[in-house]
Amino acid sequence: MAASIRQEIQQHIEQVGYLQPAVHQPVHAPFPDEISHDFYRALLRSDHDVGGQPDVPIPWQEKEEEQWELNTYVTCEVLAWRGVWNAEERRRRMNADLGQTQYLGHPYYGRWLISAARVMVDKQHATLNELIDKIDEVKARYESGA
Amino acid sequence: MAEEHSHKAAPMVDEVSDYEVLETAVRELAIEKGLFSAEDHRRFAEYAHSLGPLPAARLVAKAWKDPEFKKLALEDGIKASLEVGVDWINDAPTGFGTPSDYTDLRVLEDTPQVKHVVVCTLCSCYPRPILGHSPEWYRTPNYRRRLVRWPRQVLSEFGLQLPADMDIRVEDSNQKCRFLVLPMQPEGTEDWSEEELAQIVTRDCMIGVALPHPDRKADDPRPVHPAVHPVEHHDH
Amino acid sequence: MSMHHVEKITGVGDPQCFEGEAGKPRFKEGDRVRIKDRPDIFYTRCQMFTRGAIGEVAVVTHESVPPEDEAWENEQAPAEWFYIVRFRMQDLWGDYPSTYPNDTLQTEFSERWLEPA
Repeated sequence: MAASIRQEIQQHIEQVGYLQPAVHQPVHAPFPDEISHDFYRALLRSDHDVGGQPDVPIPWQEKEEEQWELNTYVTCEVLAWRGVWNAEERRRRMNADLGQTQYLGHPYYGRWLISAARVMVDKQHATLNELIDKIDEVKARYESGA
Repeated sequence: MAEEHSHKAAPMVDEVSDYEVLETAVRELAIEKGLFSAEDHRRFAEYAHSLGPLPAARLVAKAWKDPEFKKLALEDGIKASLEVGVDWINDAPTGFGTPSDYTDLRVLEDTPQVKHVVVCTLCSCYPRPILGHSPEWYRTPNYRRRLVRWPRQVLSEFGLQLPADMDIRVEDSNQKCRFLVLPMQPEGTEDWSEEELAQIVTRDCMIGVALPHPDRKADDPRPVHPAVHPVEHHDH
Repeated sequence: MSMHHVEKITGVGDPQCFEGEAGKPRFKEGDRVRIKDRPDIFYTRCQMFTRGAIGEVAVVTHESVPPEDEAWENEQAPAEWFYIVRFRMQDLWGDYPSTYPNDTLQTEFSERWLEPA
């Protein structure tokens, strides 16, 4: 019995490797009777759980930090300091809630940032329209060279 | 210079990215709504900027020189950190430590038999208060995918070839504990002072992808992806 | 984090703040345990590659609210004991080279993920 769970797990890991970033199948929103247990499991998995997935050697790189990345890290920690969220909620939001495509598509600190924006709206600290207007305002400011 | 994986041409030096716009918007909105103050942000940024690997290197060197301290480091990493000037609970302006790094440090002792190496497969958990900020490669899905299943291959890519009669122990740091590798003291350094020893304990040695060497005071050079608008440079 | 939790951990630390809340740990160092394959939905920090595997408790670490609950700010949810469990690489990966029979991996679980093996 234990052996078949391990087999299922091994298959599952192999399978999810084929899911990123989109599901390549001819029909989207399939009928429920067309969903296998394996596929259901793959759809509901936590995206951050990547240990053991196949991948190829890449050059190991360092990276010079952007000012916005440092600011983002600080914003996220200060939001926790002041009680808006905790670090585990941040991880859930940026590593599981975003969905597979955004999870692998954004830069690392892009996910931190988007999740900070999202928690403010989710917890009604700002409305989405306030956030949208603020983004607009900042964009215009940068474009005018201010 | 076009990067291998870029989806558009490198931006002009004065172009502002979508992420920069959003970051400014989020920070300004948060301050306007009273979620935190600009002063909070500045204080935490100052603390974050102060972090680096030197205290951890001193912890390793001290453990090499002093068997009693090594015992403490293996039993209580938080208490041992105090002796190299790092207070996991009180250093950060929060008064409870950093929200992301918690306050439970575990020191992993390499032996002639066992080599430790650390990864966080789920995200990039790292002992920032004593070791500074994690390297880019540590955060990649690639490192997180491969180290737990092909550790010897990954280590060899970092230039670390382990003999077949030595065992690897991978630590997947997935909860609130944070981990620091205490590598073996290299041969020929038995008479060195604590200060001299600390100089050869580099960040990569304490993650576990490198071994300390009497001739090496810095991590092996790697390609550095430049920032478009980098943080103002400070020497640590 | 809610200011209630911030107050709880100020000057004390996290996970220190949960000390004494989870009662007696069910497992001890050296116990053989199996990782339960509980249903996947929304969020977990119990890695897929450990599910159903058998390992040995290496360290009993601390008490804390488990991450699945903390991630929704349910800091009032009950705390559990956490354990670092060590596995042989051969037991995690069917294709791990037998040249290295003593290679291991260890990672941490909250008590609800473990059952005696």
